[in-house]
Amino acid sequence: MSAATTDISMDAERAATGWRRLVPTRWIAHLALIVSCAIIAFPLFYAVIVATQTNSEVYSYQFTPGTAFSDNWNIVMNLNKIGGYMVNSVLVALAVTTGKVILSLLSGLAFVYFRFPGKWIVFGFVLLTLMMPTEILVIALFRFVSSIGLSNSYGALILPFLASATGTFLFRQHFMNIPAELSEAAQLDGANPWQFLFKVLVPMSWNTIAALAVIQFIYVWNFYLWPALIMQGPERQVIQVGLRTLVAGDTALRFGPMMMGAVIASIPPLIVFLLLQKQFMSGFALARDK
Amino acid sequence: MRLKNVLLAGAISALAALSIAPAIAQEVIEIPTWIAFTDAGRLGWTQERAAEFNAAFPQYNVTVTGYSNYEELFASTALAAEQGNLPAVVQYFEVATQDARDSGYFTSIAEALNGRTEVNGIPVNLDDIIAPVSAYYTVDGNFTSMPWNTSSSIMFTNLTMAAAAGVEAIPTTWAEMDAACTLIMAADNAPEYCFTWPNHGWFFEQWVAQQNGLYANNDNGRADRATEVAFNNEAGVALLTWLDEQAAKGHLYYSGAQGGDSWATVDQAFSTQQVAMAVYSSSDTALYTQTGVDNGFEVVASFLPYNEATGWTGNIIGGASLWLTAGLSEEAQDGALTWLLWLTNTENAASWHQVTGYIAIRNSSVDLLAEEGWFDENPNFRVASDQLAQSEVTPATAGALLGGFPAIRNIVTQAIDTVLLTDEDPAAVLDAAAAEANALLEEYNLLNAE
Amino acid sequence: MNPSTPLLVLAVAAAVGAVLLNLLLRKQSRGMLLVSAVGAVSGAVGAAAFMVPLNFCTFEAERDPVDFWFGIGLSAIGILAVTGLASWVLNSILQRRRLFEVQSSPGAFRGSGLAFLFLAPTLIILVLFLYYPFIDTFRLATLLARLGIPRTAFVCVDNFTRLVSNNDYLQVLGNTIWQSIAIVGFSIGLALLIALAAYQPVKGARIYRALLIWPYAISPVVAGIIFLILFNPTGGIINYALQSAFNFSIPWLNNPSAAPWAVIIVSVWKSLGFNILFYIAGLQNVPKDLLEAAAIDGANIFQRFFRITVPMLSPITFFLIITNTTYAFFDTFGTIDTLTGGGPLRSTASMMYSVYEVGIQNNDLGKAAAQSIVLFIFVIGLTIVQFRTAGQRVNYGA
Repeated sequence: MSAATTDISMDAERAATGWRRLVPTRWIAHLALIVSCAIIAFPLFYAVIVATQTNSEVYSYQFTPGTAFSDNWNIVMNLNKIGGYMVNSVLVALAVTTGKVILSLLSGLAFVYFRFPGKWIVFGFVLLTLMMPTEILVIALFRFVSSIGLSNSYGALILPFLASATGTFLFRQHFMNIPAELSEAAQLDGANPWQFLFKVLVPMSWNTIAALAVIQFIYVWNFYLWPALIMQGPERQVIQVGLRTLVAGDTALRFGPMMMGAVIASIPPLIVFLLLQKQFMSGFALARDK
Repeated sequence: MRLKNVLLAGAISALAALSIAPAIAQEVIEIPTWIAFTDAGRLGWTQERAAEFNAAFPQYNVTVTGYSNYEELFASTALAAEQGNLPAVVQYFEVATQDARDSGYFTSIAEALNGRTEVNGIPVNLDDIIAPVSAYYTVDGNFTSMPWNTSSSIMFTNLTMAAAAGVEAIPTTWAEMDAACTLIMAADNAPEYCFTWPNHGWFFEQWVAQQNGLYANNDNGRADRATEVAFNNEAGVALLTWLDEQAAKGHLYYSGAQGGDSWATVDQAFSTQQVAMAVYSSSDTALYTQTGVDNGFEVVASFLPYNEATGWTGNIIGGASLWLTAGLSEEAQDGALTWLLWLTNTENAASWHQVTGYIAIRNSSVDLLAEEGWFDENPNFRVASDQLAQSEVTPATAGALLGGFPAIRNIVTQAIDTVLLTDEDPAAVLDAAAAEANALLEEYNLLNAE
Repeated sequence: MNPSTPLLVLAVAAAVGAVLLNLLLRKQSRGMLLVSAVGAVSGAVGAAAFMVPLNFCTFEAERDPVDFWFGIGLSAIGILAVTGLASWVLNSILQRRRLFEVQSSPGAFRGSGLAFLFLAPTLIILVLFLYYPFIDTFRLATLLARLGIPRTAFVCVDNFTRLVSNNDYLQVLGNTIWQSIAIVGFSIGLALLIALAAYQPVKGARIYRALLIWPYAISPVVAGIIFLILFNPTGGIINYALQSAFNFSIPWLNNPSAAPWAVIIVSVWKSLGFNILFYIAGLQNVPKDLLEAAAIDGANIFQRFFRITVPMLSPITFFLIITNTTYAFFDTFGTIDTLTGGGPLRSTASMMYSVYEVGIQNNDLGKAAAQSIVLFIFVIGLTIVQFRTAGQRVNYGA
């Protein structure tokens, strides 16, 4: 059902004629959309406002920017050093995303363009890991990663997440939809699998790559429990855990810095997401279909 | 001094510095220090001291890392120890003492000092530390960890609001609290609630100790390893019954936050005048006093109200101390010791008291502050030390030594949560909590048995 | 323990396996002796798979009856799994299918060694960081193990049987289930309503889409922080609005009836836009001819909705239920941790949050591992449902 990904506007012309009485009228659609958008936007909008306010400005419910932007900035950046956490998160998210795309491409290639004994067993072996989300393994994973001396390193945040059934499955599905003639032709031309992958498959897979990349980037950006366990000290800690220093319960809550931290932490995933949202949706469609 | 000489001296020392610099750079000893503060007042202060220390002792580099609260730092330390990544100095709160001793993560200050009277030119002078504090941190005759932020549980009253409601004297007992609250809640501009407190295990312990009630058997774990909790005694039940009653009357505000998350909710309720009184730690005396100044009301600190039926025996020392990690190299250990002694020297201990409200832990600091007239101008700042000085020392007020105490605290705050939010009977809830705590303690002791 | 206990258990398991396999393969009508033998072996192996690591401890005389039945249950699962596998293998052999046949596939490259080279990094990582910890979780669940204490003690299945008799955990289980249903239900229901109002193709659809879906990119932790101020008892704008408009306020964070709704609202907020988008896309693909024809036949708007639109949307609904349920089970963790800390009265403690509380806050690794395994059972359930429905279109032949 790739049609699920059809752009909302694509059917505009056809739909506009003939059966208008069966669908909501345009102004209702606009109204519903605007109201939904506004309700969804409000919390973030308010967070941005509060990020510039003092606590007493918050208590007086002002919807205008406050006076504490630079004070809050100072707390967020200089006292709690959110910038360092942001850099770590970007590094880890990029590393996992890149690594996972490459490993998934390779395993997809192996499953679709090679014959080998026990292929379905190996595929089942990979697929079975869908039932092992890292969340339920954290305690044991913590012990294992600590025992091999990886703890408190970027490796602890990157290595365990480089391979996944989802990624493998996504590319396998995508490759299976590419006509076999292409690979036959490539082999006639004397291309090896490596060349075939980079000269033929990758150029045809940018949408799938982008889809996997955006899903992974956000997935890794949201890491919270795992880094909180495995990383000690702030040097290589990620932003989601770093934010906890702004929400500390041992002293009066400072809403301004809290919201500023929350907003800053949301900027990179929002950018990635909004740039690649179309691929993101098609990625979901691909992952579950065909 | 001739300008030429100065320039010459400057040039020579610059050259010397340049030639030594790489050598020093390689020999700098890192002294990572983990503390449980994230606010500008306390984390910021400590980082400033670290910067001064690093400038004074270029062979060391102290880095101070802040964690959100004691509970989180405790968990992080256990996780780091599992990985062999402990820093040189960790701030452990008082209830972690038994776990700290059992874990073997740390070495005692006395052992590390090994009888020296100075380290890197910093005098040791542990006799200068005020008596109740040094007694508390001396375990088995051994000075165990470096006291730093010592506090007591006290109460802050919005005097402007209380006086307007006709409250004539700050309440000192539970009954007087009830009477004052009745007045406050009946006043014209009554706040939403009369008082609040953080649902943190510490306050339960304080209120039980005030009644001379034990928290655990074997003299609170001080005669022998504690094998059972005792907090479901009369003292515990009396406290929960009183809290339940005050909540039912609409006097007590309970924010629903527990443990490390609970402090902030009390700060907020008090500073926005949702309540007239807040039971809190003396650690934030400076903040609470300033809150009043900022918002135009007078804040008065007083002793923690006690149960008039049993009378007041005393209060337990609270706060945390700085522990020295075991297994450091001799150089690193000396560096860490230097840093600990320096951080708690007369001037720094006095300054720490002034910016926070933690007790000035050195007699010399107290003298210094008294000379400056600090206590006369700021009476709120002497309440905590007076309360401790007047406390009678019994097994109850010495505080419990208990394995798995941080986890048991969670069970207790959970019990208080249940009592305040349901109709269940306080005694039954506490019995159930004690059973759960005993199971945990049994497992803890099983794994730690000699 | 009586030394004959393991033998007795295995003998019973073998008998059960033999009977079971005969039942499973009764249509094959050949080699009853062979089938019984294979069944007996697989029954014994299945029971042993659980009981050997546990050292048959559940059948010791001094243990509780609940442990005994737990052991029976585990053995039964083992017997079922291994016998089921044996039945499938035997069936294939009897029908002369070749299990390890290298299937032909068009356009394949030569050299299976190369394929394993490509697969190696993926397989190594999966084994080290998923399979190994997965198995280790089961081992850990049989131990009394505390963080920070090197010594451990074997406690058989106590970590599990205590969960069953622990009202707190049953409450956590109940919370997780009803709150997940609420999150999924409201999120999907609201999304469908809004999509119905909005699926009319309109100008600016791209902008609307971006404005609807962005909360997906907000992390659960950040969502918790943002709503912490919206729900705050003192400065919270939601109560301020309620107070101004209706003169009442809701104690969002300190009332055990209200707090779960705070978590539900945050979660619905985060997933709503995502669901709306999928429904809009789905609604635009409902064939218009079909709706028109139905209208001409006199079907009213509700009949058209329930007889045509709903069935046409069911694949999307299904996909959204799976995605949203996974979210409700696992990703709400960050929100709960920042917003409510599992309270008040543990009303917002989910199963995932409970694992964290027990394992990290209370340092009890063994019990946390046992709770992880309960969570794992739910994951199996979800995955099976997902595959049974998606499987019709997914080609697993490789």
